[in-house]
Amino acid sequence: MKLVLPPRVSEATFQKALSAFTGVVGKEWVLATDEDRETFMDYYAAGDADLHVPSAAIGPQSTEEVQAILRIANEHKIPLWPISRGKNLGYGAAAPCMSGTVVLDLSRMKKIIDVNERFGYCVIEPGVGFFDLFHYLQENKIKLWMSIPANAWGSVVGNALERGYGYTPYGENTRNICGLEVVLPNGDLVRTGNGAMAKSASWNLFKYGFGPSWDQIFCQSNYGVVTKMGMWLMPEPEATLGLNIQLPNPDDVGWAIDELAPLRMKGVIEQSPSIGNSLRFVASRTQRSEWYTGDGALPDEVLVDILKKNNLGWWTINLRLYGYDEVNEAHARIIKEAFAKHTKQEFEVLKWHRGEPIDNSGAGVPATVALQIINWRGGRGGHIGFSPILPATSEHVLRQFHATKKRYEEIGVDYYGSFTLFERYTTNVNMMVYDRDDKAMTAKVRALFKVLIADAAKQGYSEYRTHISYMDDVALSFDFNNHALLRLNETLKDALDPNGILAPGKQGIWPRALRSERA
Amino acid sequence: MSEYGIKPDPTLLGCLTRVPLVMLMIACLAIAGAMARGRDDSTPKIEQGRKVFHERCGYCHLAGGTGTIMLARRLGKDRALLEERTDLTQEYIKKITRVGINGMPPHNRIEVPDGELDLIAIYLTRPASSRTSSGGAGQGATP
Repeated sequence: MKLVLPPRVSEATFQKALSAFTGVVGKEWVLATDEDRETFMDYYAAGDADLHVPSAAIGPQSTEEVQAILRIANEHKIPLWPISRGKNLGYGAAAPCMSGTVVLDLSRMKKIIDVNERFGYCVIEPGVGFFDLFHYLQENKIKLWMSIPANAWGSVVGNALERGYGYTPYGENTRNICGLEVVLPNGDLVRTGNGAMAKSASWNLFKYGFGPSWDQIFCQSNYGVVTKMGMWLMPEPEATLGLNIQLPNPDDVGWAIDELAPLRMKGVIEQSPSIGNSLRFVASRTQRSEWYTGDGALPDEVLVDILKKNNLGWWTINLRLYGYDEVNEAHARIIKEAFAKHTKQEFEVLKWHRGEPIDNSGAGVPATVALQIINWRGGRGGHIGFSPILPATSEHVLRQFHATKKRYEEIGVDYYGSFTLFERYTTNVNMMVYDRDDKAMTAKVRALFKVLIADAAKQGYSEYRTHISYMDDVALSFDFNNHALLRLNETLKDALDPNGILAPGKQGIWPRALRSERA
Repeated sequence: MSEYGIKPDPTLLGCLTRVPLVMLMIACLAIAGAMARGRDDSTPKIEQGRKVFHERCGYCHLAGGTGTIMLARRLGKDRALLEERTDLTQEYIKKITRVGINGMPPHNRIEVPDGELDLIAIYLTRPASSRTSSGGAGQGATP
């Protein structure tokens, strides 16, 4: 990919900045060839990768190098897009929001600085991947469990900052953040919470510090570069008890949510059960052409036939209880009784006790096999997800499910949805899987995404996280008092980053000098 | 299960968690093998390449990994495990790593520097004489 310069920057200034960056990190870690730029683009993009072209990439190895890079970027007004490991697949991966931005790749910063078993936390750098931390815990026989997302190729820090989630009782990863070290846009270094006290004895134990609490300000934002993160990890439980069930009808998701949500809120269920339509199971193991070759969305009757042949229900629910055996058994009885009011389907029960192999324990175990789904349409696959937050009731869930499925059918994309249940809300992930080389198909996907954002906003539903192509659309759907929150975010942006060098456009937040770039 | 509906594969987990021990064992076997048949100058690079391959590519390309599953679906089981392939060239390996192929995204020169990619390519194209029990391919794939 040919060089696309950042806005406001001449080629001479750009080259001067690259020389200065080279002085900090060395020639080997400043990447700016045509092929290098391609490697940081959004490989899974639905036909719009050219909107997000990086101009170069820099790979620092230390906090001091990050500080030096930010100072140079200020001097030359070079925009930077920090990534932890660049595996934010389906959301833009390593690619920047604004073309011409230089990727600040932190994947070489991969020190596991501290793991404290007694208090259940770790302090890690952004390049530490889920596999890295998992191996460290296993090899050192540390009895702490991780919360791991479906695709575990990425960074523990990056995923928590983007508010990704896993499936253990510690599944809401951003909630586990306790204490950050952050390089501010001007190159200054801060520690949040109690870490602001140089000799603090409780940086990674107490989240709030004294005065305003900043950890969440640095999540999904462009106010600083996180170089260290304290993160709480879950003590290994004594036992787990898994309950899996297939529900045969599309509307069964309604009563299932109504039964499970109060149990989730009361703590009978402490993790976030996943309720997914069974196409996800089929898509991960077979290709569409094995079942249907027609255009448009997969017809319901074909899906029913597929499910029958695979002995699947319309929805699959997987939930897991963690803790003492007696308590798990009691909670399992409560859940089974709740379901028995609606269905004769039996739960599949999976039991694990401490000391047994953890493969099927419900512990977070990293894997990348989730990516199999992109093979569904054949060709060079890609995926993108639209994920609004809904109140956890049948009224909201059924309305959103039917409306979304109808939109998929109108536009001609196979419906693939799931509901992950938290205490009070459910995250409704709607996956779109496509062949990246089929321009008609990717155009449909982009159209569908825009329609879903607008439809959801009318119901008061907003996304928890989105692809870089839709950050402005989603940010603008937060419209209370004529977008007062966006004004606040951009007021803070201009105060912390007056030269507008850090991740312009991230989450729809643009610095003053670049607001004309807003989509 | 996950939002994608797939359980982590215990085979892959076993591969990855046991890599350090296996690598140690294979390193010992490799040294013993080299001593037995006379030292080959390329052996250290093959061993380094195996280590780098496991670290950088093992997420997907060991037994049970997503790359192995996809290759089995597209090319057949006998061509699914990269460590067992004999039809790959160094140029092809390097190019595909940088540009990606099908579901596999490209790998940039920060996560896999050129020197490491050279070693991976040397390892995956090692001669038949290094593919015996002293060469490590079989053990590497299914430790």
